[in-house]
Amino acid sequence: MATKILILAEHSSGALKDISFELLGEAHRASADAHVVALLLGNGVSELAAELAKKGASEVIVVESPALENYSSDAYRHEILAAIASEDPDAVLIGNTPNGWDVAPLVAAGLMVPLASGCARIAIADGSAKCARKAFNGKFVHHVEIVDQRPIMATMDKGAAAPFDGETDGSVRTLEPTLDPGKLKSRFVETKKSESGGLDLSQASVIVSGGRGVGAPEKLDVIRELADALGGQLGASRAVTDAGWLPHEHQIGSSGVTVSPKLYVACGISGAIQHVVGMKSSGYIVAINKDPDAPIFGIADVGVVGDLFEIVPALTKQAKEAKG
Amino acid sequence: MKSLVLVKYVPDANSVFRINSAGTWVDESSLSFTVNDYDRYALEELLALKDGGAVEEVVALTVGPQAASSALRTCLATGADRAIHVRDDALEGSDPLTLARVIHQAIKDEGFSLILAGLQADDDNHTQLGGLVAGLLDYAYASAAMKLSLSGETMRVERELENNELQVVDLDLPAVVTVQTGINSPRYASLKGIMAAKKKPMTQLGLTELGMSPDSVGAGASKLKTVGFESPPKGKGAEILTGSPDEVAAQLIKRIREHAGVL
Ligand SMILES: Cc1cc2nc3c(=O)[nH]c(=O)nc-3n(C[C@H](O)[C@H](O)[C@H](O)COP(=O)(O)OP(=O)(O)OC[C@H]3O[C@@H](n4cnc5c(N)ncnc54)[C@H](O)[C@@H]3O)c2cc1C
Ligand SMILES: Nc1ncnc2c1ncn2[C@@H]1O[C@H](COP(=O)(O)O)[C@@H](O)[C@H]1O
Repeated sequence: MATKILILAEHSSGALKDISFELLGEAHRASADAHVVALLLGNGVSELAAELAKKGASEVIVVESPALENYSSDAYRHEILAAIASEDPDAVLIGNTPNGWDVAPLVAAGLMVPLASGCARIAIADGSAKCARKAFNGKFVHHVEIVDQRPIMATMDKGAAAPFDGETDGSVRTLEPTLDPGKLKSRFVETKKSESGGLDLSQASVIVSGGRGVGAPEKLDVIRELADALGGQLGASRAVTDAGWLPHEHQIGSSGVTVSPKLYVACGISGAIQHVVGMKSSGYIVAINKDPDAPIFGIADVGVVGDLFEIVPALTKQAKEAKG
Repeated sequence: MKSLVLVKYVPDANSVFRINSAGTWVDESSLSFTVNDYDRYALEELLALKDGGAVEEVVALTVGPQAASSALRTCLATGADRAIHVRDDALEGSDPLTLARVIHQAIKDEGFSLILAGLQADDDNHTQLGGLVAGLLDYAYASAAMKLSLSGETMRVERELENNELQVVDLDLPAVVTVQTGINSPRYASLKGIMAAKKKPMTQLGLTELGMSPDSVGAGASKLKTVGFESPPKGKGAEILTGSPDEVAAQLIKRIREHAGVL
């Protein structure tokens, strides 16, 4: 019998999100005999269902209700549990995205099954699964196994899996919603932009960023001086902006700004995935870190293993001389 | 209103981590531990609600070994009113669902109206314990809060999405919310707070008190098992420069000129 894998499609503003296609791709790779079912929750989403049926889903299950127009944890939990009850999949894959990490544990608790979260890869066979997930914010790969559970549940990191690259001729089916809109414990209100100051790093051509390794707010001057010498802007990891050493608008990454300067210099930044997604398309990446195993060296073009307080001032001095 | 914060005692993020000899986790023997960063922000949210009069009691709970009581003492010194330490050797190696069952058992009769946890633990990054506890209690739930505001029986939560977007949701109390870092500026324990903490109650709960059997918890009962632990693949990998600071700086300048067209 085929291995039935249910994936949760995500969409916003009338378009499917990339994670949906990545989950379809990973579901096909996860098992040699995968039968991939996409679950689509929304309101007026028939075009999206047709797209999923072409781009990797063998079957698409659509649940439509005005209460599903926007994401809410309670409505999604309710309909995902209902779909799992009626479809009885071997495995359920959800994105490790803001909505995915919100709803996945509620579903896991509802089913009393374990959840492997933040996975880059998953292999499913005979009711068991092997997953490679990140720990210590990407400094390590944590291999976990789920043995003999139904369904297997995992969340997949965004950008980790290649999208399905083929064409399918899937079928589309509708399931009646079972939720009672009057009884939802969580309700969507609105989506809005967070406030930010005037700085816009997205257009900068040179960025020098500091991370937790800088150690203290006053020591950021070392980074600022290199930025000035290179004619660039000052960026930061979340560790720096959360600590209040710099305003939020300097934060680069998934929950900050995405940048692609000609030159990006990362100082005392480990290279967590949430930081890397915001700067990996930079033209040339320099990393300075005292830990030779820091993940930032995996994506940098050139690196120096050492104390930033020795390397950065030397670089600043020579950059000034080079400019004349 | 009674409130609870879940805290985890984790290795300091600023450490250099090495893999242990068994190849199952980091070598924790040489590391210093601290309150998980996310949980400090969660505690601060509750203390601020208490300052404002909306919350009467702030309780801190951890599940962990003897040493983890130090995380609870930090919470008490910072302003929490009492602490619960769930501790039993049999709990070693529990997966998140097992931990959530234990926490559920410890708190289900307490009647907390608001439970805060961190979005994730900085060590295992499971990003699920808050949601699991919410699911077991059948409470309303939201994750990654960047703002909380309480009005009557409703908690409005601004959830962090990506690209500087926020999703605003209303939750009916009782609720569990996980907190993202940067939501506030956590206060530090004062000397007075540290003295006062010595008189605050800290309850120890073992499996006997919880009415749970040792074989229903721990590594044996957990369905999510660690089977390996390694450094991430290096990808294409950076060219690593060596030499004195001045020598590597000179090499960097040359490459920055050639490859980035800067300078
Ligand atoms: C939902 C979510 C969203 C997130 N969004 C973002 C985001 O948008 N942007 C972001 O950056 N992070 C984000 N994060 C946080 C991210 O996971 C990491 O925690 C963060 O990027 C770590 O910052 P860091 O690299 O500065 O600190 P750490 O990971 O602590 O790394 C510090 C580094 O400094 C090095 N170091 C220390 N001292 C020195 C020295 N003297 N010289 C040289 N090197 C030194 C260490 O070896 C270490 O590698 C997010 C997390 C979550 C869960
Ligand atoms: N052992 C524990 N004891 C108490 N709370 C915990 C424990 N582990 C995790 N938590 C809480 O759950 C949050 C998320 O952890 P995790 O799901 O492991 O990433 C943490 O920020 C804590 O608030």
